[in-house]
Order: sequence, then structure tokens, then C-alpha cells
Amino acid sequence: MQHDVLEQELSRQERLALKNRRTGMTIFQISWMMVFVCLIVVHWQIRANFAAWPPEGIARLGLGLPTLATGLLLASGWTVRGALRRVQRDQPFLGAWRATLALGAIFVAIMAWEWLNAPVASGADRQYGMVFRVMTAFHAVHALVIGLYMWRVDRRAILYGSRDFWAVEAGAKLWYFVVAAWIMFYVVLYWV
Amino acid sequence: MASVVSLPVGELRKSDGKPIMLRDVLGWSVDHKVIGVQYALIALFFFIIGGSLAMLIRWELLTPALDLMANGAAYNTLFSIHGTVMIFLWVIPMSAAFGNYVVPLQLGAKDMAFPWLNAFAFWLIPPAGVLMLMGWFVGPAEAGWTSYPPLSTMFSPDGQTLWAISIHLLGLSSILGAINFIVTIANMRPEGMGWFQMPLFCWAILATSIIIVMATPFLAGGLTLLILDRVAGTAFFNPAEGGDVLLWQNVFWFYSHPAVYIMVLPAFGILSDVLSVHARKPIFGYRMIALSSIAIAVVGFTVWAHHMFTALAPQFRIPFMITSMIIAVPTGIKVFSWLGTIWGGKIRWTSAMLFGLGFLSMFVIGGISGVMLGSVPFDLHVHDTYFVVSHLHFVLYGGSVFGLYAGIYHWYPKVTGRMLDERMGKWHFALTYIGFFFTFFPMHMAGLAGMPRRIAVYAPEFQTWNVVISIASFVLGVSTFVLLYNMVWALRNGKVAGPNPWRALTLEWATSSPPPATNFVGDPVPFKDPYGYGTKEAAAYVEAVEARYGTPDDVAQSSKPAPAETAGD
Repeated sequence: MQHDVLEQELSRQERLALKNRRTGMTIFQISWMMVFVCLIVVHWQIRANFAAWPPEGIARLGLGLPTLATGLLLASGWTVRGALRRVQRDQPFLGAWRATLALGAIFVAIMAWEWLNAPVASGADRQYGMVFRVMTAFHAVHALVIGLYMWRVDRRAILYGSRDFWAVEAGAKLWYFVVAAWIMFYVVLYWV
Repeated sequence: MASVVSLPVGELRKSDGKPIMLRDVLGWSVDHKVIGVQYALIALFFFIIGGSLAMLIRWELLTPALDLMANGAAYNTLFSIHGTVMIFLWVIPMSAAFGNYVVPLQLGAKDMAFPWLNAFAFWLIPPAGVLMLMGWFVGPAEAGWTSYPPLSTMFSPDGQTLWAISIHLLGLSSILGAINFIVTIANMRPEGMGWFQMPLFCWAILATSIIIVMATPFLAGGLTLLILDRVAGTAFFNPAEGGDVLLWQNVFWFYSHPAVYIMVLPAFGILSDVLSVHARKPIFGYRMIALSSIAIAVVGFTVWAHHMFTALAPQFRIPFMITSMIIAVPTGIKVFSWLGTIWGGKIRWTSAMLFGLGFLSMFVIGGISGVMLGSVPFDLHVHDTYFVVSHLHFVLYGGSVFGLYAGIYHWYPKVTGRMLDERMGKWHFALTYIGFFFTFFPMHMAGLAGMPRRIAVYAPEFQTWNVVISIASFVLGVSTFVLLYNMVWALRNGKVAGPNPWRALTLEWATSSPPPATNFVGDPVPFKDPYGYGTKEAAAYVEAVEARYGTPDDVAQSSKPAPAETAGD
């Protein structure tokens, strides 16, 4: 693999530090994904109490814009992967990195529009829009915080190269997390 | 060019072989030993707070009428904050204290994998504790530590919101700590120490950490919804608007049943180390103890609904009853392995060993009442009675707290370089054991007679038992101060411990007490079997350690003149 060749140049201690960070990141991703799983369970238990979902008289959420946003987010996962590969080879990575940030921003903007226009109702019927809003907002908070971190990496891009790319790798892996969490939510909210 | 290894942010204040002083623990430090002591001190502080609340509860329950508290709501705040503080601010941080101090030493490592993250995880606890106690300024949480809606959403004052934010922070703290433990244990074992040469305490912390990273996020999800329901006008838990109160119970217990094992597995680990060392015998069934911890961690995720038998649809009761019975199997394996360990051993009646044996006897009672509660036909009758209160205190106090006490007596010499006084330790044990038993065992009878939990005013026929319970609980409360006094007294006056006062084989004893800043001088060599007591090789290993770091007598002579008081075992 590409990075194994590069990592031979690192000292034993540096390799251990990198290994620790990678293991830690993997465990964090698995762990924090459980919050999103929890919200899916919440969604599932609430809708199980309704005879119809969405409840009678509530319009189903439109598929068009969210699907476009999902496509853009998937593309951003691909661009961030490109950025990580480039920084590991000492190639300029900011183009792909900023493309990721731009795609992510468009995604958040589209979902914010969807959030504002989700169904509003009173009584039990409000659950449909409410669950949708909490799930998308919870995801968007993660996208924004991780996006801010990635923006900081952008500001400090001069520091990173094939010997020190952990900050970039961490940003990329957190962004994969945002993408993966959204895919689960997208399926649950729009297709199930 | 910055390198991959960057120094952790913050001042690297190391103890450097001197006992950790008060000024070390009050400031930011990334040294796992200082952080371990910080965890222990804050946990002991909240232990006193939680214990004082318990004393108020027992005072109120001396008579069937309301006499101490102004009303039922005031009483509700007592047991709500008592339960929350004891679980989230005493047992879990105290387990983390031992994990932080002992795990890197047992692995022969210089520090945890992420020292800065470790310190950050600790420093989330003080603000969380303050938020919890600040509830008293706005009306504290009244819904019990389980905080079932609608009690926690519609009837509890603003302190409930602070409670939820506080638990949120504590959950984040334990997730970050657990990630650190898993990475440290997985990646930083020394050469020659495979998974199955690892001390069992490390196995226990590993299993605990796996539970924390998988279960605690569920609590975070549930608390987020609870906070939104309280402050943002959502209605997830409000049936009038299509919500579901059982939703909270499912999410909460999906975290909180595994959390029971978060609280007791570290004590299991302490017990495995303590029993083997103080009985001078190899641990019986090492692999079974290690793997049963993992089995408990896995099966623990499948039993949560046994807390909800009375609310559960009948077709779900039997499956959860079966899984609840199954989880007794790995626990039983451990109990028999521990009995096998002490069987025929040369038992030293140290305070640590006494608390270890106290754990073994009391935890078995709690385990058996747990199996009783796990069976649906029985549970339906004693649900929400004092039988449940008795069961949970037998496993949490008789299990976790006795285990933590054993750990304090076992590792205090390593942390401070001084031995705790054994005579005070035995007084502490006697008072705790008797006070504990007569506090919590009669609760079985009160519960079977039908006394409900969480009430300040009860039927007069329960008063006899309650007077017995309250008096015993005051003895139990006093017993804690014997330990605290001992811990302070021994700092100056305790016998000098030397590197390895128990002649133990695990790596934390193969360095001076307290250990130097980098824990070991050179790379430590682990003994091939951490519990291989009773062989010539083991004796030679211990002698090699003493030759290098000195026996207690050498250390005492080289430091200041030893104090006159040398009560020992």
C-alpha cells in the first residue's frame, strides 16, 4: 500500500503514534456512529406507533433535492479521499480539499432549506416533521463542526506533507463519517 | 517541518518519583499517574456527597411519616441525586482512576496512548459535577437516576435540564477515556506480553471500555432528545402529541444495563489481581476470567428490557428473561474461578484481601437476587419495591465499592509509597461489612413484604425493618471516614512501602513507589505469567525487582528515618 512505503521513513515512535491515532479514530467512528443508530431506533419506534407514515394528511417529504444533496455529499467523500492521497505524496491537495468543503457547504445549504420547509403540524401529526428535523439537524451540526475543523486544516495547509499528514487524514476520516452517517439517515428518512 | 509526533498541548508536569502533591492534582497535567489521582480525589469527594444524601434518606425513613423533608418532592431530589452522583461521579470515575493509574504501569508503558485526551476527559468531570449540584439553586432533578418521562419532562424542575447536560458531559468524558484505554491496551503492550499474558485488570478495563464506546452514545442520543423535549418544545416522550414514554426506557436501558457492567467489571478486574496476589496462588482459569469479561460485555447488550418487564408486551418477556439468565453464566464462571484461586492458597489476611473476600460473598448474594429478578413471574411482584433496591446495592456496593476498596488498599502503596494502616483497615472492613449487610439485607424482607421504593411516607408495618436499616446505614456511613482518615494519615505516617510490598508479579510493581516520571527506568521485562505465584522462577523475579529497586527496608533506610508507627500485617 502507498502509505506503508512512506511510513518506513518514520521512526518507531512516530509509527506507534500514527498507529494509535488510527486505531483511536476507528474506535471513535464506531462509537459515535451509535448515536446516529440511536436516532434511527428512535425514528423507528415512533413511526411504529402510527398506522400510516407519514400520518394521514401530511405530505411525504420530496425526494428530489435531498437526493441531489446526497449525490453531492458522496462526491465530496470522493474528493476528500483524493486530497488525502495527494498530501501523502507531497502533491498539492488544497484543490480537492476546498472542493470537499464547497460540496459540503452546498449539502448543508440544501438540507437547511429542506429543514425549513419540512411539514409542520399540531398534535400527534407533528412527529413526522419533528423526527425529521431533529435527525437532519443533528447530522448538520456534525457536518458543520467537522467542516470548521477542515477549514482550519486549510488555513494551516503549509504544515502538512508526506511526513506529517495526520491532521489531514483525521479531517478526511471525520468527513467519511459525515458521509456514512448521512447515507444511513437518507435511506431511513426517504426510502424506508 | 512539524513531525507526526507533537508534544501534547499543556504543561507536562510529571511527578518524578515524588509523591503526587496537592498542587499537582489541582492543575492541568497529562501524566496518567496524576490524572489517576485526580479521578480518585474527585470521585471520593462525590462519594461523600452521595453518601450524605443517603444518610438524609435513611434519616427520613426512620419513621413512616414525613419528618425531615418538607414534602415528597424534596425527598425525590435526595434519591435522584444520590443515585446519579454515586453512579456517574463515584463508581465510574473511581474505576477510571484505577484504570488510569494502573493500566499503563501494568503494560510497562510510559503513559496512555493519548495523554492530552486523557487529561481533557478528566477535566470534563468537575464542570459536570458542578452542574449536577447547581440543581439545588433551581430545584434539582426529581425523577430518579433513571429519569423516566413524563416525570423528567413534565414534572421535574430546571435542575433536570442541568442533570441531563451534566450526564451528557460525563458520558463524553467516559467515551474519550475508553477510546484511550482500548488503544493503549491494543497497541502498547510490551514485547513478550501477548493478549493472554496481560493482567486480568487490563482485560476488565478493556471489556469495560468496549461497553462504554458502544453503549454510552445511546445515552447521548436519549439525553439529547430529553433536553430538546424540556427546552425546545419537541414531544418525543409526550404521548399526547404522538410521542412514546417507552422510547426513553428503551434507549436509556440500552445504555444503562451495559452500564451496570461498566460499573462492576473494573471491580472484577481488581478482584482477580487482589485474590491471586494475596492468596499467593496462580489465578484459576485465567482464560475463562478474561474471556468471560468479553462475554459479559457482549451479552450485556441483549438484556436491557428486563428493567421494563411490567411495561413490556408479553411476547418479549420470555426472550429477555432467557438472555438475563444467560448473562449469569459468565459471571458464575468468574465466581468459581475466584473460589478456585483462593482454594488451598496461602491467604494473607490483608485489608485488600478482606475486601476481596467481602466482595466475593456479598456479590454472590446480589447475583442471586439478580437471577430472581430476571425471572418474569417473580419480577412482576417485586417490581419497584425495596427488593430491587437491595439487589442493586448488593451488586453496586457489595460488588463495585468493595472491589474499589480492595483496589485502594492494594494500590495505595504504589501511588504514595506508603502502606495504609492495616489495623485501621481491618476496623474499616469490619464496620463496612456489618453496616453494609444490615443496611441492605433487610431491604429484601421489606421489599417482599411490599414496601415500594422511592417513597418518603410508608405504611407503619414496615417501620421495624426501616429502623434496623437506618441504624446500620449510619454505621456504614461512619465506616467510610475510617478509610478516609487512614488515607490521609498514611500519607505521612504509613510504613514505607518499597517497590513491591505484596511481592506481586505484575509490572506495576517492577518500579519504585511512586514510579518515576516515565514509569520505568529502561524497558521493563514482564514475567511470563502475571499470576505464576509459587514457583522458583517467580521468587527469583521478585528478588530481581527488589535487588534493583530495593526492599521496603532498604527504601525506608535510604529515605528519612521511618516513622515509629509500623502497625503491619
